[in-house]
This record gives sequence, C-alpha cells and structure tokens, in this order.
Amino acid sequence: MTAPVSETATQALQEDAPIEKPPRGAPWWANQRIGLLVLVVLLGVLFGILRPAFYNQQLVIFPLLRDIAMFTVVGLAQLCVLSIGHMNLAVGRMAAFSMMLTGISYDLFHLTLYSGLLVGLVAGTAIGALAGWVIARTGVNSFVVTLALDFLLLGLIPLVYTGLTDNAAFVTKPPGMRELRNYSLADVCVGNVCGSPAVPQLALFAVVAMAVVGWIYARTRLGRELLMTGSSVKAAELSGIPTARRVITAHAMSGCLAALAGFMLAVSTGSIKATIGEEFMLPSFLGPILGGTLLAGGFVSIWGTLIGTALTSVIRKGLDLLGVGLESLNIYLGLILLVALSTDRVRTVLSERQEVRRQ
Amino acid sequence: MKRFARSTEMTLLVIGIVFFIGLVIASGGDLLAANSLRVLLQFLAVPILIGLAQMVVLAVGQLNLAVGAIGGFAAAAMGVLMADHGVSVPLALLIGFLLAGIVGLLNGVLVVLTRINGFIVTLATMTILLGVQYRLVGTRTVDAYPQGLKTFGAAALFGVIPWIFVVALIVAGLLAVMLKRTVPGRQLLASGGNPIAARLSGISNDRSVIVAHTLSGAILGVAAILTVASSPGVNKSIGGDWLLPSFAAPIIGGALLTGGSAVVLGTVLAAFIVRFVDTARAEFSLEPSWVNFVVGAVVLGSVVLGQVRTRRQERRSVVKSPDVAVAGGVS
Amino acid sequence: MTLFQASEIVKVFPGVRALDGVTLSLEAGSVHALLGENGAGKSTLIKVVTGLYRPDGGRLLLDGREVSFGSPHESASAGIGVVHQERNLIPGFTVGENIMLQKLPTSRGLIDRAAIRSEALRWLAELELDIDPDQPVTELSVAQAQLVEIAKALSVESRVLLLDEPTASITPNEAALLFRVVEKLKDDGRAVLFVSHKLEEVFQICDTVTVLRDGASVLSGGALSELTRDQVVDLMVGRVHEALNLPDRTVDTSVAPILELRGVGTATGHSEVDLTVRPGEIVGLYGLVGAGRSELAKALLGLDRITAGEVLVRGQAVKIRTVRDALRNHKIGYVTENRKEEGVFLEQSVARNIAVTIWDRLRKFLGYVPAKSETEMVKSYVEQLGIRIASPSQHAGTLSGGNQQKVSLAKWLAAQTEILIIDEPTVGIDVRTKDAFHTLIWDLAANGLAILLITSDLPEMITLADRVVVMRDHRIQGELPNTHDYDQMSQQVIRLIHATPSTLGAA
Repeated sequence: MTAPVSETATQALQEDAPIEKPPRGAPWWANQRIGLLVLVVLLGVLFGILRPAFYNQQLVIFPLLRDIAMFTVVGLAQLCVLSIGHMNLAVGRMAAFSMMLTGISYDLFHLTLYSGLLVGLVAGTAIGALAGWVIARTGVNSFVVTLALDFLLLGLIPLVYTGLTDNAAFVTKPPGMRELRNYSLADVCVGNVCGSPAVPQLALFAVVAMAVVGWIYARTRLGRELLMTGSSVKAAELSGIPTARRVITAHAMSGCLAALAGFMLAVSTGSIKATIGEEFMLPSFLGPILGGTLLAGGFVSIWGTLIGTALTSVIRKGLDLLGVGLESLNIYLGLILLVALSTDRVRTVLSERQEVRRQ
Repeated sequence: MKRFARSTEMTLLVIGIVFFIGLVIASGGDLLAANSLRVLLQFLAVPILIGLAQMVVLAVGQLNLAVGAIGGFAAAAMGVLMADHGVSVPLALLIGFLLAGIVGLLNGVLVVLTRINGFIVTLATMTILLGVQYRLVGTRTVDAYPQGLKTFGAAALFGVIPWIFVVALIVAGLLAVMLKRTVPGRQLLASGGNPIAARLSGISNDRSVIVAHTLSGAILGVAAILTVASSPGVNKSIGGDWLLPSFAAPIIGGALLTGGSAVVLGTVLAAFIVRFVDTARAEFSLEPSWVNFVVGAVVLGSVVLGQVRTRRQERRSVVKSPDVAVAGGVS
Repeated sequence: MTLFQASEIVKVFPGVRALDGVTLSLEAGSVHALLGENGAGKSTLIKVVTGLYRPDGGRLLLDGREVSFGSPHESASAGIGVVHQERNLIPGFTVGENIMLQKLPTSRGLIDRAAIRSEALRWLAELELDIDPDQPVTELSVAQAQLVEIAKALSVESRVLLLDEPTASITPNEAALLFRVVEKLKDDGRAVLFVSHKLEEVFQICDTVTVLRDGASVLSGGALSELTRDQVVDLMVGRVHEALNLPDRTVDTSVAPILELRGVGTATGHSEVDLTVRPGEIVGLYGLVGAGRSELAKALLGLDRITAGEVLVRGQAVKIRTVRDALRNHKIGYVTENRKEEGVFLEQSVARNIAVTIWDRLRKFLGYVPAKSETEMVKSYVEQLGIRIASPSQHAGTLSGGNQQKVSLAKWLAAQTEILIIDEPTVGIDVRTKDAFHTLIWDLAANGLAILLITSDLPEMITLADRVVVMRDHRIQGELPNTHDYDQMSQQVIRLIHATPSTLGAA
C-alpha cells in the first residue's frame, strides 16, 4: 500500500525543527492504578492484622470477591458510556428492568437459568439502545435522557411487579440459581486439581465481561471508534465514523452490562425483585473514575475499574468487620473519592507546571 | 410581552391551568374545597424549593447531586438538636439552615479548588452526607420536638394557603429578584452563559460557582426546615427521593444544562404540574409509580421539544449557546 | 501624544520566550496596526496589555505613568477597552446589559434598568448605531454583535481600544460600517489598536504599524504611508519571500470530471451551484469568509441536506448521506479548516489520528484490528509527511499547528481518497511549512488526485489552483482560468467578487 506522496513533496515536508517531545510520562509510582493497587493490598493487610477473620475464605473473601465481581460489571456498564463522554444515570434501573423480564421469563415461561439470563441481556441491550437512540436523534444531553429514563423505569417496574407478583418479587427460581450462588472454583476440577474455594463462580461472569470489553476497546475498530467519538464528536463525524450509531452502541453495551450485573445481584441475593440495582449508581461511577477512566470521554481503563471497585469493596468489607455501621461506610467512601481525585488533580497540576508549553 | 407569549413559562402556565381545570372537573369540584386546596399546596412547598436549589446551580452550568443528602442531613441535624439536645426551636432551625449553607459552600469551594467535575464532587458529598444523616438518626424516627413547630407546619393562611407554601414562594421571589436584579445574580448568570466573556468583563467565575452552590445549600436548608415542620418526624429516608424531582422541575421549566438560564417561574410552574400529576393519580386511585412514569415522560418530552426549539433558533442567531449540536446530533 | 505604551515587554512561558522585548506605543487620535504571523506573539501581547497575563519584564505606561494590571477588570477600569476575536456576549442578556456588564449600575442594591438603558443608549449613539438596548443579543447579526462589543469596550470610558481581528467574520459591507466607527473613534481622540491579517484593511485604515516576529518587535511605530505592502510582508516573514517554484503540471482536460455539481442547492442556502473537478486538477474555491464554501463542502459530504440539483461522482448521480458513505463508496475526503475541533483528536495518539479512516479497511473477524498493519501504515505516513514526533503514541495535542495539519491530512491520504476537499490548509501555519504544504498539494494533484481547494488566502489560491471559482453569498459568481500571475489574477478575482449579478456577463 503506497500513498500518493512523491519524494519531492516528502523532501519539502521534512523540517529541521526539533522533535516535539511529549511531556515526560509520570514515574511509575505516580501511576494512578498502581497507587490504587498498592492501597488495596495495604488495606487488605491492615484489615487482616486488625481482624484476622478478614481472611476467612468462606465468610469474608468469598462474598467480597462476589461483590467486587458484580460492582466491576456495574462499573464497566458505566465505563462504556463514559468512553464517549456520556453518562448513564439509569444504570441501576436498566438492571432492574432486565431482571424484571428475566423474572417473567422464569415465572411465566419456565425458561432455564441461562435462557432467562439471555432474555435479560437482550432486554438490557434494547433499553440501552433506546436511550442511545433518543440521545443521538435529539441531541439532548445524555445526563437528562438517562435521568428521564430512570424516572420512567422507576414508575414502570413497580407497576409490572404489582401486576404480576404478590410480594414485589418473582418467586420461581430456575434450577441451578441457588447452586450458582454458592459455587466456588473448588467445584471446578481438572483431574485432581480443584480451584480455590474462596473464588465464587459468579466472578467468572466479571472475568468474561472484562475480557470482552477490554478486547473491544483495545483491539477492535468499534472500541477505537467509541474512544474517538468520546475525544471529539465533530472530528469523529468528519473522519467518517458514524457517531450517531456509536452513541447507540455505547448505550446498548451499557444496558447489556447493567443487565448482567443485575443478574449477578439476583443470583447472589437469591431473589428477583423490583429494587434490584438501586444501589448501583454510586459504585458505577466510583470504579471507573477512581481507576482513571475520563468523565469527559476518550480514555477508559478496564483494569482501573477492577482495582477501583476492589478498593471500595475492600474498605466496605474491612470497616464492616471493624464494626463500623454499614450505612456510615458511605462517609468513608465519599471521602476516598474526594481525596483520590483531589490528589490526582494535584499531580496533574504539578506535572503541567513542569511541562514545556508553547503559547 | 410578545417574547413572554412564546416562552416556556407561558406554555407551562397554560398547561398548568388546563390541567387544573381538568382536575377540578374530574373531581366534581371537590378539589376547590378549602381542605383539598390546602393539601395540594402543602405538598408543593418542598418540591418548589428543591427544584430551585437545583436550578440555581444549573444556572451557572453546574449540577448538585447532593440536594437530597444536604436536605436530609440538615433536617436530621435539626431534629436531633431539638429532640435529643433540647436546643430551642429557632436556634436548631438556624443551625440546620447554616449547616446546609455551609455544605453548599464547601461543594462550591471544592469544585473551584480541585477543578474536579461538579458531578463527582457532589456525588462524593452526597455519599458522605448520607452516612452522616444515618449516624445522626440511625433507624429511629425523631419526632420529639416541640408541637409549636408542627403547628406552624400545618397552619394555613385563611385555612387554604399553608404557611410553608408561602415561605417557599417568598424564597422563589427572593431568588428571582436576586438573579434578575442584583449584581451577584447577574454575574452568576453571566458566568453560566459565557464564562470566557464573563471573565473578560471582570467577573470571577469561581466566585459565581461558589455563590451558586452556597445558594443551593441555603435553599435546601429552608426546604429542610419546612420538611421538619410539616412531616410527622425526621428519619434516615428524608431527602432520599429528592434528586430526581430536583432535576425534573428546572428541566421542564426550561433550564439549560449548559448554564446561563434563570427560570425561577418555570421551575415553580413545573413543580405545580408535577404536583397536579400526583393529585390526578390520587384522584383516580392509581399506583404511586404512575407519577414517576409520567414525570419521566414529561421531562423527556420537554427536553426534546426544547432542543428542537434551540436548534431552530440557532439557525437564525449568531450568539450561540455553547451547547451546539453537531451534525451527528450528539451532545 | 502617546496615550499608552508597552515597553520592552518580556513574557516567558516554561521553555519559551513568547515575548522578548516588545515595544508598542499608541497615540491619541491615531489607528495603529499590530501585525505578525501566527505565533509571532500578537495574542500574548494583547493578553499582557489587557491584564490576562502578567509580564515578566518591561513596563506598561498609561499617560506616562507606570501601571500594572492584575486582571482584565483592572485594565478595563484603567481605560483600555478590548474587542476580542471570539464573540464575547452573554447569550441570555440584553444588548444594554451586555454593554454595561463591567459596571452594572445599581440603585439601592438593585440593578437600575433605566440607567442601563440610558447609559447603553449613550454608547450606541456614540457609534451611531440604531440598536434597541432591550433587545436580547441572540437576535443580533454577527456584525451587530461585533459593534455592540465595541460599545461595551467604550463603556468603561476607554481611551485606548484594542480590536483583535474584528473583520474575521463579517462581510465587506459590514466591515465598511466598522471602519467608519473606527474613523470616528480616532477623530474623538482615542487610540485604536487594530490587529488584522488582512493587509488591505490595515493599509486602508491604519496610520502606524508595529510588526512582531518571533516574540520581538521588528518594527515599532512605523508610518504606514512610508511602507509598501511587500516591505511589510518581508518584515513579518523575516526574509525576502520568494515565490515558490513548482514543477510544471498539466491537467488532461479530455478526461471526464470525477466530481460534478449541477445546479446544486442546499439547506444552508446555496443555489444553482455548478462545479467540476477533474482527476489531477486543483480547483480553487475562493470567496470571503461566510460565502458558504465550507458549508458547500459539508453538504457534499452528507452533513447537510442537498435540496436541489444533482451531484455526480465519476459520472454517476449520487446521494451521499454520511461522511462514511463519501469515504467508503466514493473515496471523497475532507480536510477541515477547523483543525483543533474537527481535524485532529487532541487527546488521542498520532497513530490513532492517522489510522481512524482505515480501521474499516484493516479490520478482520469481529472487528479485530491487527496492531501491526496499523503501525506500519502510520509509520509510513509519519515519514513521508515529515511529521516530527517522538513516537506515534504521542498525543496530537502536543504538536505544533503545522504538524497537526499534517496529521489531519495524513488520514485522508491513508484512506486512499481520490477526491480531496482541502479547506484553508495553511491557516495558522508558519511560512516555511506553508511552502511545503503547497508543494505537497501540487504534487498530490500531479499524481492524479482531484483537489477542491477552499482558501481565503489569495496568494495561496493563485499559486496552486488551475481554475478559480469565486463564490459569494452561497452562489457561484464566476470562474477564471488561473494564469498564476498575482497582480492580474487578484484584480480579476476581486472584481468578480464585487460584481453585481447584472454585470456578471461582462466578467
């Protein structure tokens, strides 16, 4: 493949100007994700010293990992829309909506566990795509559209539940749901070697989600085009990227992941009810933002989302074991969010001061 | 006058009046009874205030996710001070009001100092305050505060217009005067409308942001007072359902998320309409969920219409609002 | 009498001396031009004078007294009014409020609307403008908005007025009105600083000139009457600018046009646009800013509706709906004039910036894009276009304007387009790189690319184009074969632009 640039032109274009070097990258210790990882490990050790029960595989590690897995998927759901510079305030309600349809499929159509999951994923994708379509079509801010959608679903879901169930929860549980809740890798054996009993099988869903989302953003055209759209919609449009379609794709991905997270929550709590996803909004932003994903779009970090989520979950669990009331944990989570982002901001300002800037 | 006739406020006013007449007819005139009117207005006071609290930060191009948390926290603080510590009513209310204002101030200062997106800052303060509110009241319902306050909360002018509604209207009036007729108010709107131009005109955008967040906190302080006065007690769930309505009212009222619009009247009218939806729901004995459903639909409908309108205007005008839709129609 | 003087101003940014001993003095009752190429330090100087930047050396003197400005507000209160390049009106406010924004009159704590109205009227009257102070600024035309800004600048009782590129986005008629206002300000004894790229205007209305080059003043306060246009250009460029020597290139006129517009009308207001471009041909589309040239290009790409006529690509009538369609099915590319917002992704790597158009081609199963083929492609263009970067993963935002423009162009070359619409390719690019771009564009055409060149830079047009099509008010005024003779061509083009439709037949 050769370009139609001849040597004369190439020669004319060569400049004697010095190479424009990018500002030096921050040293490894200033890397946000590594800093967070170190923090997670340190906190894990600290809690372990204060409360040896922190290392109890069945009572602490197992549910902790299950939480991390679920909230990572929630974070990824938000990450998909953050990548194009949008937000999804309805992330929790999309999960509830999808699980409602999953519940109906179990209750009325007696589907198997995984066919029901599939129904949920399709529903989540559809409702996400709907949000994306409205945004792309009207040009209204994603914040407002997903907020309004949240309202709509908040109204719709209880109506359906009261219409179809007695106690605002679907009671039919497909076979395998209860088992999935408690299965760990110890139940997966290759010959005589079995996995750790501390790792829940549910975590595999998060691993798959991370792998797929990671692959999309790092290796495929779609992921790159999403990031370019996030960087500059105008430039993306003028570079031949179908930005309207990308907006819909991003929101559809978000809805699909929200549905998956809803399923994981339903499995781990053992019930499909209207309130699923109510507590998703804050963690959905915490994980990606702490992990370095930009609110403005154009950059995502899948590992960062995992580490950010792990940090908040470890703190939650650790403080819980230390006897801090569950609801007051919020105080610490909020403070961490502020401190983490402020220090990050301070770092940026410091490096900007050093940076050579032309005016 | 011609401009007003085409404005969002006018549309809302017409819709509101038609809606109200419809409700009156549907209720067979019962709605006009003093008691029904009083109840209608009683539950309007707080929604008006939380809508205004959000509107004032939207005006400067920010948003406040902590509206419910600030209100709930302030209400909890007032309740606990009066019930557990025997602080006198006026002092407790004053402290609660000041606390709300201070949290708003802190929000503003944090946004300005850290340059972190206001969304994240208020998300963080929301989380913190939810924890604090729980610490204060736990699972209790604090209601052992002087009867006088509750009497005020239930009292009504001529038996029809609740005093707490009057208070909300006074706050709305003061806010309107401040935004339209005072220098800090105009500066706040200038910062929201075109920050660069504002800066070049010697206006401190940082100060505008701080003023807006502080005002938001203070309005929520008033909302907290009215809540404490009019509800049977204070618990951890107060403020929990404020966030969505706080956005609904200004957005339906015509506020731009990008800043620069002061829609006090629009916000108040939108709060009325939302209240009518609720009244209609009760009238036809429908599920409470219908209200959220309808409000969601109305919010979506009004922003879509608003967008169409701005686009049409932009074709004609050169002084654009900063949120120009691009070819792909993506915001 | 010298009203204002900036003497030996130094402004240092980390690693760069943006201003290195600049002297500028403004006389009462005189219009002074500030000239210099992009990057010469004009905007930095203005920011120093208006208090946005603090100088690191030198002095500012107002009426002979040393002053220092900590903020735009301080400089305004000292009597220095500015009209900035960007429109700086508050959308939701009235004309009156915008004019008086810097010191809103109050009475008893409230804003005094009557006072706003009367004060604003006074300044509008000063400029002989018939605009209602109670009108919202959203209802003004571009030129009216500009004049309102001048009124606003005057409202601080300014005796020194800085006009930064005031004619960049207004029509010649509107500019004439502006110049009358400037004349009036001058007669009133004010000192006016006029910053412009358009030398014709500078020679028309300015008395004296300061020329900046590389952050220093190479001419400070010279009388324009004693200078020729060429001398001024030489001062700006810093060397005697030689005409670019390009090899011969002929267009095979027997080949059918690859792009043809027949009586095209668009939703943005074009009508009856006829235009043809052949392979290997550079067709220049000339016109003033606002004539509708970029809008035509965008309509061609499907970004705006085509309402009449037909577009033929390779002889086939086509309906292009999206840029992707234009690129994929018709091999049409568009290098935008708005580099920073539409051309490059500032926060993304150079590699991705160049590869954005070819992912579609490189992708394998499930949209997988192999990193290797992408890197190779990018590398080849980085080398061929001489893009100076440390690594392809460097963010495009860290590059200079010239290198960014190369990146913006590279993606269309990588996409193997056959029709390239190039919009204002050398705006904000230094003279040396400009020549290189001209060579490149010339060369691309020689290799068979069909190029539609949109530019407001007449010398650029006359250097490159084979034919010049002149557009005005969204219509084609006429077409001229290019003789590459500057004096002759520029006269013809200018005459064509200002021809009334009835005299068009004679052109």
